[in-house]
Amino acid sequence: MKRDARTQRWRMTRRGFLIGLGIVGGGLALGATLGLPAARLALADLLGDGTGPPASFPKEPAIWFAIQPNGRVVMAMPKVEMGQGVHTALAQLAAEELGIAWEQISVTQSSSIGPVRDPAGTSASYSMMGLFPIIRETAATLREMLRAAGAEQLGIAQAEIEQGFVIDPANPARRIGFGELAAQPREWQAPEEAAPLTPPDRWRIIGQPVSRLDLPAKVRGAAIYGYDARVEGMLYGAVARPPRLGAKLRRAAPGTALERRGVVQVVIRDGVAGVVAESRLTAYAALNDLDLEWELPPPFTHHDLEERLAAQARSGTPIQQHGDPAAAMHSARLVEAVYQTPLAAHANLEPQAALVDVQPDRVRAWVSTQSPVQVAESIAATLGRPADTVEVTPTYLGGGFGRKLLITAANEAAILSAAVGKPVHVGWTRTEEFRHSYLRPPTYAAFRAALDAQGNIIALEQRHASGSVLFDFIPAPLRWLLGSDFGAWRGARLVYAIPNLLVTSQTVELPVPTGPWRGLGLLANVFAVESFIDELAHAAGSDPLEFRLRHLPESELGQRFRATLLAVAEMAGWGQPAPAGRARGIACSVDMNTVAAHIAEVGYEGDKLRVYRVWAAVDPGLAINPDGLAAQTEGGIMMGLSATLFEQVTISEGRIDAGNFDRYPLLTIADAPEVAVQILRSGDQPFGGGEPPMGPIAAAVANAVFALTGERKRRLPIA
Amino acid sequence: MEVLINGQPYTVADEPVRPLLYVLRDELGLTGTKFGCGAGICGACTVHINGVATRSCQTMITTLAGAHITTIEGLAEGERLHPVQQAFLELQVPQCGWCMSGQMMTAAALLANNPNPTHDEMIAAMRYNYCRCGAYARIARAVRRAAELIKEGAA
Repeated sequence: MKRDARTQRWRMTRRGFLIGLGIVGGGLALGATLGLPAARLALADLLGDGTGPPASFPKEPAIWFAIQPNGRVVMAMPKVEMGQGVHTALAQLAAEELGIAWEQISVTQSSSIGPVRDPAGTSASYSMMGLFPIIRETAATLREMLRAAGAEQLGIAQAEIEQGFVIDPANPARRIGFGELAAQPREWQAPEEAAPLTPPDRWRIIGQPVSRLDLPAKVRGAAIYGYDARVEGMLYGAVARPPRLGAKLRRAAPGTALERRGVVQVVIRDGVAGVVAESRLTAYAALNDLDLEWELPPPFTHHDLEERLAAQARSGTPIQQHGDPAAAMHSARLVEAVYQTPLAAHANLEPQAALVDVQPDRVRAWVSTQSPVQVAESIAATLGRPADTVEVTPTYLGGGFGRKLLITAANEAAILSAAVGKPVHVGWTRTEEFRHSYLRPPTYAAFRAALDAQGNIIALEQRHASGSVLFDFIPAPLRWLLGSDFGAWRGARLVYAIPNLLVTSQTVELPVPTGPWRGLGLLANVFAVESFIDELAHAAGSDPLEFRLRHLPESELGQRFRATLLAVAEMAGWGQPAPAGRARGIACSVDMNTVAAHIAEVGYEGDKLRVYRVWAAVDPGLAINPDGLAAQTEGGIMMGLSATLFEQVTISEGRIDAGNFDRYPLLTIADAPEVAVQILRSGDQPFGGGEPPMGPIAAAVANAVFALTGERKRRLPIA
Repeated sequence: MEVLINGQPYTVADEPVRPLLYVLRDELGLTGTKFGCGAGICGACTVHINGVATRSCQTMITTLAGAHITTIEGLAEGERLHPVQQAFLELQVPQCGWCMSGQMMTAAALLANNPNPTHDEMIAAMRYNYCRCGAYARIARAVRRAAELIKEGAA
């Protein structure tokens, strides 16, 4: 791979650090790779958590710092910022261990080729968990290198570090800044032993609610997103869309498009018919001038998809199994129920967008994407070029939510740019975004459970089915090995101690593209599981909180659930009556090892269901930025509530009905409940943050509706 | 034809007839105003036209001769943020940020006309701006906070 000047002189040291010397504006840079054992460990942990492996592991530096002569440290961000605050939280880890002031660090976004490559992409709420150890270890190593160099310069054996300076403890006036040290010519060596990490009781920045680094630009409208990417001489592209899902272009001709003023070229290639024009509006208008014939697959509706799930749910792969539920199910009180959730859209407010400049020897692209490396590979494959000649720079994302892993618009812009020899921007319309994106798949879950005379669950069986979530993103052999899509059943396994338990999951092929939606299967599956647990609590005549506490295991995870449930119960005053005409429901979940518990308070205004208040307790292990995690919790609850109350993609004649928000309304501020969030700390390690806190919301609301009306809502949306 | 944007005169073509949003973003490079739906539903493209919060995706450029247009880029006075921007920053409101120009422009127009809105008045003004990240709780608090900042500034 061709590397730019900044990374040319990496060399590997014994402990797996890559060090580059004196190359960044006279500064020092240090990066680190994940060694193979660490990668294997990460793989095992992820599979154990039911979340599956990332697509691949970085072979290139995963972390990269540069110290500028003025003492500022620039951190190259492997992860993209889509509003989850990841740039800020990762910078907090680095600033902590480097021993610099928070104000001394700044960040720069890595592209698909460097300074750090991130083949895994930004997804699955894995950024903090995955990078917490390696950023701290790398930063601490750099700090120790600077300490040793500074001590040598000061002629002392032991130096202290404070706010970016190496200091003589005997005479604190004698000090030398990191910038000055880094600018000196020196033979840098990474220490052979592991650098000591700052103990939690001495953290200055980790655990603090520092202000987000991206917000000053965002409040000024100055942050650049993929839809905003502009370069000199660029043109705009648009691509014709099929009238029905799965339709193929049979024949295409330019028609009258070239007669329209402002049209530069009509491009018909590889099953794509597109227009390049001087403006976006002209490009889209000219699509109507094309002469197109489509080959239409048989029509279908969303009801057909739901029937497929129901028909195949019994043939799933076991994902959780112990005891003998079939035998235990005969002897006792049985409860049965079926839960369903519909297709749903991401509705990221920035539709997918890419600016691609195809030049004879290289391709540059600016894309609103969670996976710059995958998008670069996809562009290269589309153009038939070597992958290392394509550089994708991710911009800020106007919402990701899993939608921006694969970016069709980037391939389209590449095809159009290659044809015209100029940079081309493709930014989808809202209608394209609704009708031609992958969706959250529908789910189906059939439960049976048996209660003993004391009202304890002695057996439980769940037959789960879903369209695919991650299967389209992983290689076929791994799909075969796994049997069912671990993304689809995320959240479907039960935490409760049930002596006879079987959960199976079936991945069902559907004629609709489906994929990851914030939390993958989490919201839908926790809705089903935690609603059914609520049914069992009522069948047993137990308080829903007490019933859950009673069934939790004695494990460490069980204890974390107890603490989280009790915290939210305390916040909401569970056990005291709700205000007149209202009722409360409770639910809990674990995802990426983060435990969340919600209580929702609902009522009706006329026949309109209102969610007035939500209390949330979240145990993410350790919150690097508690205000950031609170924001993710508030936001996840609102997005989850929107899906709970309103959202459903319907299909008629093989075409998605909603072409805009008039047919797919989202939650507004008028429907938004008051939300109270409490962040718990159960250790010194961060777990997932972006998705897990939303897990229980649908079930909490549905359980509250039952408490109020006696009607059990077994199907989303419920408003 | 000439339009005034953030106090600056700009000459733009009056043909073809097209929405202000595209003129701002694609012709003048003012990309702070965002495209969300193109149908006047989501509010991401909200600007001020003669002080009134308006959907720029639904406003044809030919209707704007001589109009005073303010976009998010013109809300601050140089380095000094508008109280709404200050409040949105102080309460760490934006997540992805895509809807936020529209949210802040809507809030600024509300407070210019009604410096001390009730909760219901605030909801009535803000309810047509979607935020998919779900920052609604903070948006509500930030609009109240901006009203306080305006009052403090005026005192």
